[in-house]
Amino acid sequence: MRETVITKDTIANPRSHYGDARASTRHFLTQRITGAINILFLGLLLFIVVRVAGQDRTDLVAVIGNGWIGLPFAVLIAVVAVHMRNGMRDTLEDYMAGSMYRLTMSLNTFYCLAVAVLGIGAVLKIVFWG
Amino acid sequence: MAELTLRKADQPQKGKTWPKPEGATRLREFHVYRYDPDTEDNPRIDTYFVDLGDCGPMILDALLYIKNRIDPTLTLRRSCREGICGSCSMNINGLNTLACTKGMDDSSGPIKIYPLPHMPVVKDLVPDLTTFYAQHRAIEPWLKTTSPTPEKEWTQSVESRAKLDGLYECILCACCSTSCPSYWWNGEKYLGPAALLQAYRWLIDSRDETTQERLDNLEDPFKLYRCHTIMNCSNACPKGLNPAKAIAQIKKMMVERKAA
Repeated sequence: MRETVITKDTIANPRSHYGDARASTRHFLTQRITGAINILFLGLLLFIVVRVAGQDRTDLVAVIGNGWIGLPFAVLIAVVAVHMRNGMRDTLEDYMAGSMYRLTMSLNTFYCLAVAVLGIGAVLKIVFWG
Repeated sequence: MAELTLRKADQPQKGKTWPKPEGATRLREFHVYRYDPDTEDNPRIDTYFVDLGDCGPMILDALLYIKNRIDPTLTLRRSCREGICGSCSMNINGLNTLACTKGMDDSSGPIKIYPLPHMPVVKDLVPDLTTFYAQHRAIEPWLKTTSPTPEKEWTQSVESRAKLDGLYECILCACCSTSCPSYWWNGEKYLGPAALLQAYRWLIDSRDETTQERLDNLEDPFKLYRCHTIMNCSNACPKGLNPAKAIAQIKKMMVERKAA
């Protein structure tokens, strides 16, 4: 994100850009696609939650350990993490600027990455090693 | 950048209550924002009483009644008084609209009048629209062609011309842009609904030959994608246009271009 002073001439110039122009449509598209995928996968998640309601940990591990459930669940976590990062980027772009934006965006990326790695790692462990 | 509070010096204070017109039987109370940059004073809210028996039915009639009969220092823009020029756009009872087409009988109780929100105020109800006009300039609101100029004129089919309906009618009153929270927070970088409506008007003009260049110029996380589909713009437009739909169409063109 540029930190230069925005003058009236900058605003009036059609070729002025204030962010990553090339990535903006990709981010927009990714956000919509991951949002649509989330709706589908959250249906699966809800099904699992209802399915394991009232059961103990062993049953829960058995359900998630089933590759047909565990692997889509891992994909869901990845898609949610991407969606979460993009959504928070939108908010940060609205309310932060300059170095504060870069700092908060880095924290956002780190947090989403941590959620994805830990979540997917946990699910894969259950699927492949029980 | 978001600003959630006003500086102390910008906070409006209770102002003067002007005397009621003598002999009036039907009075309407007006609370009007006043600010004079030539003084050090905070903005204030003055109270006026308008004699409805001696005044037209529109808010602009009342403001002109106040200016002509009560307080000549009240400053506002106005011109056509029939919703064509867009000069008298202001915030009336919390809604951005044109004073000339807004009737006094649309609401009950005191009528609160402020300048368009989140814009620098020149004086009283007159906002500084310099940035707004610069944004309009940025979308290059004129026909751009690359092929040789025809002998007579650039022709257009009836169907192609019909696509411009609902777009060309914009009067640049700024009601939509100044009702948009995204525009409030990023008013310099985000082009705003009015400029983007006009951008779409030129993007789909069958005679224009620089669509890709126009899309290149708009492709930016701030200039275009600050629109979060809040829809205040479409609610506010006094001409009944739909800037939110035009912005959605531009985003669709961007995505189609990316996918192609």
